[in-house]
Amino acid sequence: MDLLMQFLVGLAQAAMVASLAPLAAGLIKTAKARLQNRRGPGILQPYYDLAKFLGKDSVASPTTSWLFAAAPTVYFAAALGAAALAPVLAPLAFGLGMGFADLFMLLYLFALGRFFLALASLDAGSAFGGMGGSREMFIAVLAEPAILLALLSVALPAKSTGLAAMAASAAGVKWTLSEVFAAGAFFIVLLAETGRIPVDNPDTHLELTMVHEGMILEYSGRPLGLIHWAVAIKQLVMITLFAVLFLPGAPLSWPPLAQAAVLAAKVVATALALAAAETATNKMRLFRIPAFMSVSGVLALLALVAR
Amino acid sequence: MEFVYLYAAMATAFVAATAGALSLRARPEAANRLAHGLSALGSLLALAGAAFVFSAGPQEFTLTGDTLFGPVAVRVDYLSAFFLAVIGAVGAAASVYAIAYSREYYGRRLGAMAALYAAFLLSMLAVVTVSHVVAFIVAWELMTVTSFLLVAHEREKAASRRAAYVYFVMTHIGTAFIMAAFLLLVPPTGSMAFADLSAPTGWLRDAAFLCALVGFGTKAGIIPLHVWLPEAHPAAPTHVSAVMSGVMIKTAIYGLARFYLEFLGTGPLWWGAAVLAVAALSSVLGVLYALMQHDVKRLLAYSSVENIGIILLGMGGGMAFTSAGLPGLAGLAWAAALFHVLNHAVFKSLLFMGAGAVLQATHTRDIEHLGGLIRFMPYTAAFFLAGAVAISGLPPLNGFVSEWLTFQALFALPAALAGLTGKLTAAVLVSLLGLTGALAAACFVKVFAMIFLAKPRSAHAAEAQEASGLMLAPMGFLAAACLALGVLPVPLLGLLTRTVAPFLGEAPATTLATGDWYAMGFKAAATTGTMSPAALAGLLLAGAAAAFAGYRLYGRAGRTAGETWTCGIVPTARMEYTATGFAEPIRRAFRAVLLPKPDVVVERDPHRYFGRRMVFHVKITYVLSELVYRPVNRGAVALARYMKRLQTGSVQLYVGYIMAVTIVVLVWSIRW
Repeated sequence: MDLLMQFLVGLAQAAMVASLAPLAAGLIKTAKARLQNRRGPGILQPYYDLAKFLGKDSVASPTTSWLFAAAPTVYFAAALGAAALAPVLAPLAFGLGMGFADLFMLLYLFALGRFFLALASLDAGSAFGGMGGSREMFIAVLAEPAILLALLSVALPAKSTGLAAMAASAAGVKWTLSEVFAAGAFFIVLLAETGRIPVDNPDTHLELTMVHEGMILEYSGRPLGLIHWAVAIKQLVMITLFAVLFLPGAPLSWPPLAQAAVLAAKVVATALALAAAETATNKMRLFRIPAFMSVSGVLALLALVAR
Repeated sequence: MEFVYLYAAMATAFVAATAGALSLRARPEAANRLAHGLSALGSLLALAGAAFVFSAGPQEFTLTGDTLFGPVAVRVDYLSAFFLAVIGAVGAAASVYAIAYSREYYGRRLGAMAALYAAFLLSMLAVVTVSHVVAFIVAWELMTVTSFLLVAHEREKAASRRAAYVYFVMTHIGTAFIMAAFLLLVPPTGSMAFADLSAPTGWLRDAAFLCALVGFGTKAGIIPLHVWLPEAHPAAPTHVSAVMSGVMIKTAIYGLARFYLEFLGTGPLWWGAAVLAVAALSSVLGVLYALMQHDVKRLLAYSSVENIGIILLGMGGGMAFTSAGLPGLAGLAWAAALFHVLNHAVFKSLLFMGAGAVLQATHTRDIEHLGGLIRFMPYTAAFFLAGAVAISGLPPLNGFVSEWLTFQALFALPAALAGLTGKLTAAVLVSLLGLTGALAAACFVKVFAMIFLAKPRSAHAAEAQEASGLMLAPMGFLAAACLALGVLPVPLLGLLTRTVAPFLGEAPATTLATGDWYAMGFKAAATTGTMSPAALAGLLLAGAAAAFAGYRLYGRAGRTAGETWTCGIVPTARMEYTATGFAEPIRRAFRAVLLPKPDVVVERDPHRYFGRRMVFHVKITYVLSELVYRPVNRGAVALARYMKRLQTGSVQLYVGYIMAVTIVVLVWSIRW
């Protein structure tokens, strides 16, 4: 029964993350517009967009196969699975959530989604999709070691790769130089994994920035809505990971409600920081990304050495 | 029933297969059915033998009476039984596949091929079961010779002859080191039974370690001893490639495990460190080279180098933990390595079979000339996809489980290596394994997409037909195994802990499995880890169901067909992204290692701007071949040329040499 209980709590958490994810996306978009002296869309705009996409018919190329049709479902399922595993509820009440949720499980779920979407990008047979898929896999190759190094700087002191144990260990940690390095390391991979400037531009699919948006160029209607939703979920999961594992938190002795408020504040702060980072930088050339990612790797190693 | 009868039945099946194929060589159809059918039967008997040992305990019997080297015994403990099971499972699948696949070879010495194939399988089964040095070497050499002849089967092709030659040279260097390693262990009594072998002391023990690493490492294909592997595996007929890549290189892992677990015992820490270093090099470089290939079988061969690296990461970790006196964690690391042995055998042979089906349907191994086969070969495509997902280490298939175990073993390294060194080693190795996984994913996205997706790039691909049922059935079986081992790995993990427990002193069995059917985990030396593959699969199912329900709740939405948008031009296959293009960013990022040399040929006459044809070709430089093999080769040739001066052809001079040597030996002996 233990498994079933954990499973159901995980699904409830996934539902919560999935319903809040468009809000986080809207918050970033609005904040970015304000920082750029634009009025921008309302904070709820992603919900309207999703509702519109999910109600529309779709067009699919006759070149495509069943894989093209199945990929958005796999991508969405992987993002939802990651949302169930992420330590969102864990800081509120330890023991709640998935006791066996593990950082490798989380990362490999994202990898599974990416694998299928990259395949689908090549299925329509246009050069644009292939370019997006190729670049997405390239960035994943660079980001994977960096993200592991950054997470290890939390996992090694916690002596466990379990996300709940890592969250517990991170909550009790004092904020020192080593934590600053680790946070810097993860923030860089956060930019890469959520497809932000300077690595990718989430708002356009012009050839120069053709990464994630290039990959899903051939999708329309419902499948596209599903992909957008999954991207928002993945983004919120990554932001939550950053907030829980790398930012100073409330002491464990505080009541759950206060903990939840602190977590929400940290998530909002991270979202605003993402908007600010995106406003303050330019899109980087694709072949400068390796250097950018190695900055993250070096910071993570420094964090390990300093601890 | 006695185990010896089972073993005898198995051997008889293979011997009958060899004899039958040779005597029926004039009637290929009959030879094919008989030899491959009997090979499949023999493989199933091997599987049964493994099951027998796991249920009734280790078995031992003498094969011969007293020979020149003492009595030869067959001993099947859990370690042997595990490898017996791996060979049996893959051998059975490959033999069934071979019945359909070998039809291609009816005019081309099929009888010899089928006979060699059966002998090859039998020799592998002998390698993992005999417990006598001489018998082991004989079985090992039989395996080498049969596989050499199979690699050279298409001897009309210069590439096959060259591949076979390189294989022969390399593998004999390997055998020399294996013999040296064994001879160092032979006790003063001269007994060559495995049970009597004892590790020497001092530097001789280190020498035995290194000889075993080099000798078996050559067969396993670890970098830098891998040069033969990407040549030989693609050259052999596909069902043989599947067995060579999936299983034969694992016999070397068996040899290493036998040496490091049983013969040599607990070694110094640097043994583990050396294995880990070689493993990290093999896994990263192997997959990088794989990513650069366009020949699908060559690509799969390079990917085997990578996977051997992942297996060795587990073994190296296990050795490090043993040195530090942590049997629980050593059990975890060894179990991870053995789990990956089985996983790689399953998905690599599946992928080779898929590649063979494509090769038979299209007659090309170059993925740049394929495409769109998912329409014409739907089952092959689905099974190949399962193999691609599994080899990329993605959940919920089996590759993820063994990679997770390896990750955990590497993560626990600070327990063996105190202080900053341990932490940094763990961090670097974990991130390198992550890099390997990401590169493998990129590699198999490329392979699957180029072969099966979008539009056919050539007439061959457009006329492809689905493979026959006899080829699809084993692929389906292996794909199902990928799923089963991925979702419910706990029973196998139990078997693996039983396999390694006898060698590690303290039984890690209680610490390695949580006892729940759904979760695997361990608890050792203040480190714990838990993971539930079943729950992971359940989450994916729940997510897919949610997506599906969301679709339905919203009512039916139409799906119309519309041609792919290519800026107003009618899309053709020439606009598709190519394999070269797909790998380009990674090739550029790793150019320090790969040293790519692009070569562009443009025919632009008569107009400057509207060229007629443009060919882009990239040559990858294999740094290690340049750095190691070329100088050694050059040196050997130069030395030979120098030594040739001794050989004048004059008999008097030769007699003179003999006299000179005799005098030197006499003077030498007088000193004592």
